[in-house]
Order: sequence, then structure tokens, then C-alpha cells
Amino acid sequence: MRRAAAALLALLALGSCAPGDHKTHIYLQRFFGECGAEYGASTDVAKAEGECGIMTSLINRFNAENPDLRIDVNVVAWPGYPQLTAQMAARDPPDLVTMHEGVISDYAAKGLLDRVEPYLRAAGISPDTFTEASRRGVTIGGHIYGLPWDTHGGLFHVNTALFAKAGLMRGGKPMLPNSPEELIAQAHQFEARTGKPYLIQSLVGDPAGAARNVYTYMMAQGAVLFPDPKHIKLATPKGVRVAEFFRRINVERVGTLNMDTPAAIAAFVSGEGGIYPTGTWMIGSFEKEATTPGRPLYKSYAVFPYPRLWGERIEYVSGHSWVVPARKRSPEQRAAIARFFRFMAAHNFDWSRTGHLPAFRQVLDSPQFEALPERQDIAPLATIGRPLPSYVQRQSAIEGLVGEEMAAAFTGQKPAEKALSDAERRVNELLAEVD
Amino acid sequence: MAASSERGRLTPLGWAALLLGALIMIAPIAWTLLLSLKDNAELVGHSGAALHAPYTLENYAAIFGNSSTTRWLLNSAIVALGTTAGVLVLASLAGYGFARLEFPFRRTLFVIVLLGLAVPSQAVILPQHQLFAWLHLHNSYPGLILPGLIAPFSVFFMTTYMRGIPRELDEAAMLDGASRFTIFWKVIIPLTIPAQSTLAVFTFLGSWNDYWWPLISATHSNMYTLTVGLAAAQMNYAQTSGLGFLMAQAVFASIPIFIVYIVFQKQIVRAMAGTAVR
Repeated sequence: MRRAAAALLALLALGSCAPGDHKTHIYLQRFFGECGAEYGASTDVAKAEGECGIMTSLINRFNAENPDLRIDVNVVAWPGYPQLTAQMAARDPPDLVTMHEGVISDYAAKGLLDRVEPYLRAAGISPDTFTEASRRGVTIGGHIYGLPWDTHGGLFHVNTALFAKAGLMRGGKPMLPNSPEELIAQAHQFEARTGKPYLIQSLVGDPAGAARNVYTYMMAQGAVLFPDPKHIKLATPKGVRVAEFFRRINVERVGTLNMDTPAAIAAFVSGEGGIYPTGTWMIGSFEKEATTPGRPLYKSYAVFPYPRLWGERIEYVSGHSWVVPARKRSPEQRAAIARFFRFMAAHNFDWSRTGHLPAFRQVLDSPQFEALPERQDIAPLATIGRPLPSYVQRQSAIEGLVGEEMAAAFTGQKPAEKALSDAERRVNELLAEVD
Repeated sequence: MAASSERGRLTPLGWAALLLGALIMIAPIAWTLLLSLKDNAELVGHSGAALHAPYTLENYAAIFGNSSTTRWLLNSAIVALGTTAGVLVLASLAGYGFARLEFPFRRTLFVIVLLGLAVPSQAVILPQHQLFAWLHLHNSYPGLILPGLIAPFSVFFMTTYMRGIPRELDEAAMLDGASRFTIFWKVIIPLTIPAQSTLAVFTFLGSWNDYWWPLISATHSNMYTLTVGLAAAQMNYAQTSGLGFLMAQAVFASIPIFIVYIVFQKQIVRAMAGTAVR
């Protein structure tokens, strides 16, 4: 009995062990999953694959190259904000956190994040080297609150074998539409010649996808989505035009219905449709399929930003960044964060292999990046990409509300005007509660 | 004999309904198991690949490779066992007090305990989190175990059960010179074993499956429980790769639960049938 009690006490003590190695410890918290089984000891970043593999290898490499420092990593369930908020409430936030750029404003507005200009200066990184989309994504009120890490947004992933069968290839490239009418015409031609749907859509449980479509095509028409920090403006003729067009796609049955994201992904890699509109994050997986002999997508994959259907060629984007939660730190820890920034900025190309666009112009323009498959085609996203205005808080919750209402409009559960009005009302009620 | 005659009364339609129910119950478990035995890359294109060979154990090998799963399993075991032991001790003592002892405000206190049943844990999460932060108990085993010890239902359950035990047993023991604690320990507790087993099983399962509190209290990955760890392990968008590994982790995490169910099957069935409290 005493032995059992002693063993239990020893186990309980395990949880409160403090590091005793004379290194400067930095506590980093990230999402992107846990893959210690495959990459726990990997420092060869070039050989790593996928977000989790590349991220794990990068941090291992940093630890190996900086023997006086130690990055202690905490992997959180995506997106990790409930945990981060709890840590901040307990006055014990991490030193570095992966954060979506659209979320920065929530924390920055409450003084919970450090401005990172001093760290950037110490790391020798000029904000002028950021891409336009990245710079906008981390800048709030003229101050920089994070090291931008990538830009991600919606893309048209194309099955070129089916496009060729449909007669929609020109010069080895898919012919993407330039207007709503052209899209519908192409879709009918595609369906007639291949017997498969033109669009694979994840309309079930994917509010982010529906919101992305509306944001993108309203922005392209010059709509000001957020005239001020407390209001959204969706119920406009421009909004109705977008919502009714996506409803028409479903009425005319040129896209799949009743698919969630995993089903849509499986359908696309199985060659069951022409275009799958989803994000940069899927490029790595689809490229793997496209380079594996015997797979339906083998040598049959191309990817482009959303086509211009109305107005200007502008697309809604977001990005990942590294932020520094506000807390007391030693000069050694601050120096360590700067070194981490310098290291990560120098390895931004490695991250771009995931499919996300680089956050630095020199990487975006580098021959190394352009040599990656499909990257020349998607690179414009870093220039045409527009995040939501940085003064808007609760962007993640807003995306959920807008996406929910728009999905209802696209699938015909609500008339377009009603869905847009409901989305506007719900978002404005949410914003009215923000301090 | 009675059971056998009851079984004999089941019509073929009844058997068919039972079989259908069993199949519906077992299908997701079988599906998870099959997915866990498939190569991750094969599942990207079509999860239906799980229905045919080849199968592999590589996902299970990966769990025991360099993964944190074993650490999370240990954490879950410590937290679930610690919570269960604590709840049994506290609920038994409280139940005995409410069932047998006369003291001022006994009824009022019991009502206050019962009111606890009406307070959802989410309603007190903010002050609870602040309190544990103030006590520096986050990211520790006590921090994960202590909130689970607030168990008004368990107190109610043990009180009700102990009230059903004849007082004459206590009186006989008192006549033999037994102290209050001796009566509690040697007379009452042995008679509450069925209730203790039922309570232990449900407390263990509840603690093992808890997600909310460990998510915000255990913020260092070496202190994650399995539920939080498995959620954190999910990588890439919509789990388009690594689905087999995720399912293998889920199966691995369920093994202790299966063992508990198998060992305590009788108690669980009795509790479900409402016969544990008499």
C-alpha cells in the first residue's frame, strides 16, 4: 500500500518537473497537428512533407542549430484559441503562438499581444520584405503584431485530364471562365462531354468555403464589406448577385450537392469532377496524387486563384503568423524570439512547399519557389489577396455566421436576400457586443 | 431459469430487431477498426478502401514509435483512477453522513448538494479556471483531478443507497461496541459494493472521456489527457492524410474503456436497469 502510494506520488510529481539545463527556454504553441512518430527526430527540412512534418522538422532544426536555446513545443487542437485564451487568463501564455491573421485583432485590441517591431529589428527583418497580403494581415493601426508566415486563400483545383476531354484546355492550360455566364456555359459543356460535374463543392459543414466565395466576389465588385468596425454590409445588389449565382450553379446541377469536405476531397482525387474550389492547404496532397502513377489525378492536376467573374481581380485571403503574447520576459528570451524569427524567415521557402504562399517577396520571386509545381500559377494570390480590414474583430466567428447563411442561400434553403439580411443582422449583433 | 424462459419468449421479429440494433451499434466501431488497419495514403482517395485488403499494423507501430500517445494514456489513467478513487471516498463519507448522522442543517446541506446537480460545469468554468490559476494548479495532476471530485450526483447516489440499508445493522454493531468509523468501514461499506462498483464505472468513464476541462487546464502537451492529445494530433485539413493513424489512436484510446466495460458489465447493466439502488 505504501509502495503504491509512493509510486502514485512520484507519478504526480512528474507533471511539475522544471527544466534544469542552463538553456534559455522558449515556450512555443502551435497547431498543424502532432507527428512525432514520423518526424520527432527529423532535422532534414527538405525531406519533410506536409504542414506537420515541415513544422516539426523546422523546430527540431532550430533547436539543433541553437544549442544555447530550447524551444519547448506545445501542440494544440486546431485552432487552439480556447487554450490560448485560458492561458492568458491564467497569466501564463506561451512565448510564441501560431495565429491566423484574422484573429490577431481580437487579442491585440485587448493588449494581449506584444508588437513585434523590436523583434523584427533585432532579427534584421524589414516589414518592407513582406508581401502585400502578408503586410496587411499582420498590421493593425499602423503597428505590426506578428511575423507573417504565409498567405492562404481559395483556389480552383483543376483535373486537367477531364478538362481536356471536355475541350476546355488551351496551350496546355485549363480555360477558366471570365464571367458567370461563361462559367455556366463551360459547366454544361464539361458535363455533356465527360458525364461528370464541373464543380465539386463541399456545401455541407464548410461555412468557411461559402464565406470565402461571398467575400471574394463582393470584394471583386468593389463592395466595402465593413464600412466601420461595428458593421458589415452584405444585403446589397452586389451581394445578391453573388448569392444568386452560386444558387444557380446548384439549380442547374453543374456542381455536386450534399458533400462535406472529406467527401469532396475524395471525389476530386478520385477524378469525379472538374474543379474543386478549396484552399492552398490542399496543394501538397493533390500534388502527391498527381505524381503517383496509377492514381486518377496522375499528371492531371493544375491549380489557379479564383477566376475573375465580376469587376476586379481581387480575392479574399488570410494567413498564418507568429505572434508574441504579452508577458514578462528576460532579455535572453527576447533575443531568442528574435533569433527564432530570423530562422523562420530564412526558412519561409520550406513552408511554401505545403502549398501556402510565402510571406516574403524575395521567396515569392525566387527561382526556387517558381520551380515548385503550380507555384507560378498561384503566385498572383499574394498580390491580389485582400484580408478583411484589420479593425474588424471576431473575424472567425463572423466567417461562421456568414458562411452558414450563405450555404443556406446556395442550397436554396433561404432566398438570397433573406440569407444576406440574416447574415448582416447576426454579424452586426455580434459586433455590437464587442468592447 | 427465469432468464431462459424470457429468452424463449422472444419472437423471430424480436431477434431480428435485436440483431439490427446490435449491427447498428457495432458498425462505427468496426469501421474505426478497419480504417486503423489501412495505409494512410490509400484512404485519401476513398475511405471505402477500408473494406478490403491489404491491411497493415503500421499505424499501431507508429503509436509506439516516437508518439506522445503513451504519455497521454498514462495521464488519462492517473486522472481517471485518481478521480474515481476520490469520488468513491468522498461520496461514501458524505452519503453515510447524510443517511445516518444527525447534525444541524443536515437537510439544508443535502438540498445544497442537490442544487449542484442543476449547475452545469460551463457556468462555473471562469471562476474555476481563475481559482486554479491562482493556486498554480494548471498543468498538474491535482489540477485535472480536483474538479472531478465535485460530484453531487455521486453523493445523492450513495446517500440513497445507504438509506436503504437497515439501521438495525448499525445498532447491532453498536451493541457489540463498534465505533462510528468501524460501523462505516466494516458494516456499511461492504454492503455498498454494488453501488460503489456502479459509481466507479461511471465516474471512470466520465473522467476518461472528459474533454472540456483538460483542454483549458492542461495546456502543456506533456500533461494532455488522451482526449485532448488525440484532438491535437489531428493534422492537415479535414484529416485528408493520416486518417488511419488517427483511427489507430482512437482504437488504442478505447482499449481501457473496453476492458472496464467487459470487467464491470454486470454492474453497468444493473445500473442502466436502475437496480443498483435498492
